[in-house]
Amino acid sequence: MNHPLTRRDFLKGASAAVVGSSLIFGQDKGISKKARVVLIRHSEVLDENSKVNPDILQGMLDEAVMTLLDEKDPVRAFRKLVKPGETVGIKTNVWSYLPTPPELEAAIKRRLVDAGVAAERIGLDDHTVRTNPLFISATSLINVRPLRTHYLAGMSGCIKNYIMFAESQPDYHPDSCADLGALFKLPQVQGKTRLNVLCALTPQFHGRGPHHFSRRYVWSYKGLIVGQDPVAVDTIGLRLTMAKRREVLGRAQELPPVPKHIQLADTRHGIGTSDINAIELVKLGWTEDILI
Amino acid sequence: MPRTDWSRCMTVRCFLGLAIASLYVFSDGGAVTDFGAKIPKEFGGWEASANDKTFNRQTLYDYMDGGAEVYLAFDFREVFSRKYGGPGGRDLTLDIYDMGSPEEAFGAFSCDREDPSAGIGQESEYGPGLLRFWQGRYFVTIMASSDDETAAAAILELGRKAAKSLGPPGAKPDLVAFLPTESLRPDRTSYFHSVVNLNNRFFVSSENILRLDRLTQCVFAEYGPEGAEPSCLLLIRYPDAGKAGSARQSFLASYLPNAGPEGLGQTEDKKWAAASVRNNYLTVVFEALSPEAARRLAASVKFPEK
Repeated sequence: MNHPLTRRDFLKGASAAVVGSSLIFGQDKGISKKARVVLIRHSEVLDENSKVNPDILQGMLDEAVMTLLDEKDPVRAFRKLVKPGETVGIKTNVWSYLPTPPELEAAIKRRLVDAGVAAERIGLDDHTVRTNPLFISATSLINVRPLRTHYLAGMSGCIKNYIMFAESQPDYHPDSCADLGALFKLPQVQGKTRLNVLCALTPQFHGRGPHHFSRRYVWSYKGLIVGQDPVAVDTIGLRLTMAKRREVLGRAQELPPVPKHIQLADTRHGIGTSDINAIELVKLGWTEDILI
Repeated sequence: MPRTDWSRCMTVRCFLGLAIASLYVFSDGGAVTDFGAKIPKEFGGWEASANDKTFNRQTLYDYMDGGAEVYLAFDFREVFSRKYGGPGGRDLTLDIYDMGSPEEAFGAFSCDREDPSAGIGQESEYGPGLLRFWQGRYFVTIMASSDDETAAAAILELGRKAAKSLGPPGAKPDLVAFLPTESLRPDRTSYFHSVVNLNNRFFVSSENILRLDRLTQCVFAEYGPEGAEPSCLLLIRYPDAGKAGSARQSFLASYLPNAGPEGLGQTEDKKWAAASVRNNYLTVVFEALSPEAARRLAASVKFPEK
């Protein structure tokens, strides 16, 4: 058992060093892995009313996936993810206050079709993925959702987005949702996730109790965090969340309590890497107030 | 913890304060389903946009997956939920939580306070898009997805209407009265049971090093003048002295390994923390300006004679 992360680590200014270094949350890390994560931003993807420009968003997604997979054409890049004839499930998030933008869902679906997947064999769902025939027969999954804090789990990212695949969601809640990483080993999910898209157009960095949303605690970051490793994607999302909380709430509230599931998804469940030193973060586009 | 144990614990506390309890603990505003008729479905251009819903301890997960535990850590019984639609497609959500007792309702309200009072219910706060208040054994939130003046006016109007349906006021937890009053910031006192609430109020550790659970009762308070960094006091009542003592050991081992026998140590911000036990109470001071200030704050806790 390693020493738990405490408030004193933040007082030392060491939080950024220990979160994502495999030193906390009670597990030693095994073999390090290299995971590429693309952070792409565009200053005009949202207008002053936070309305999404779908063309710019499509371009951001394309560029991120091309960079992720070392391809020069978005359709060729998506063909590295899915094959014609496949059934693909897009696991989205419909939380009413901050859902996955429909423009982002449409952008993903468009490229899947371009890559040869029949439109009628693409599922888009959140709460009923366990019984949705398209998700039951899916051979590939695309995982997409907004970045926000969560009162119990610390952060809602790509790992937590698969909670709807669980037969019993409360089973995953003990100890700050420590074992959400196990969701990726469920038969309906294991080995099928081709792409994770953490939508950081308007992330939420703070909440007041469960179920809470306020525009006070979201900001127009205008970014997407994209990768094939959900743990690496969430690790970057957590770093962004911490940076914003530090800026607005101060160092003592830098860590949203307590996102241990991200690190344990790596060290306990082995579904990806949370070690910042084993993540290749590629930053594209707009850099103003990038924070990380 | 089984509900029966919880009820037994609450009953013991009620007998200790029988006079107050007889006035407040058993007061009620009715079953939450009654609110469907008591609270208007239409007001000022707003109207209920869906059927009313209620959720209990078994079904709360259906309403707030991933957040239910926060209320279940209290003595939550039921929640009444109604959505309203208003001008320009705006919407409001009214949630009235029956927390089982005024103490628990105060607890649910007290953990996430950040905004100024709205003068509704026993205590309230309002910030853009969110009203929170408590009254008797009920904790209420009214939330809007937009935070403009139209939504704000509707939130406050609905809050005042709802408060009238909630019955008489109730008493805060007796533990609150143990707090030293000198330099206390009254609107920053929180009452809770679980480590989830503690860490959202004041992050201490990624692990439950104070061994909190539904049987522990905690108050967290801030001290010092406005505008200055506060010193903080965490007072925890455990079921017995043995649990209080082992929790202190656990805390010192993880948080203050540099502490001496007194349980006092300096932290990286040049401030001081301390942990001491008296009977089944554990007192923890954070961020005191000096060792003397830490000792003084801990010694000022007004423990009962027995």
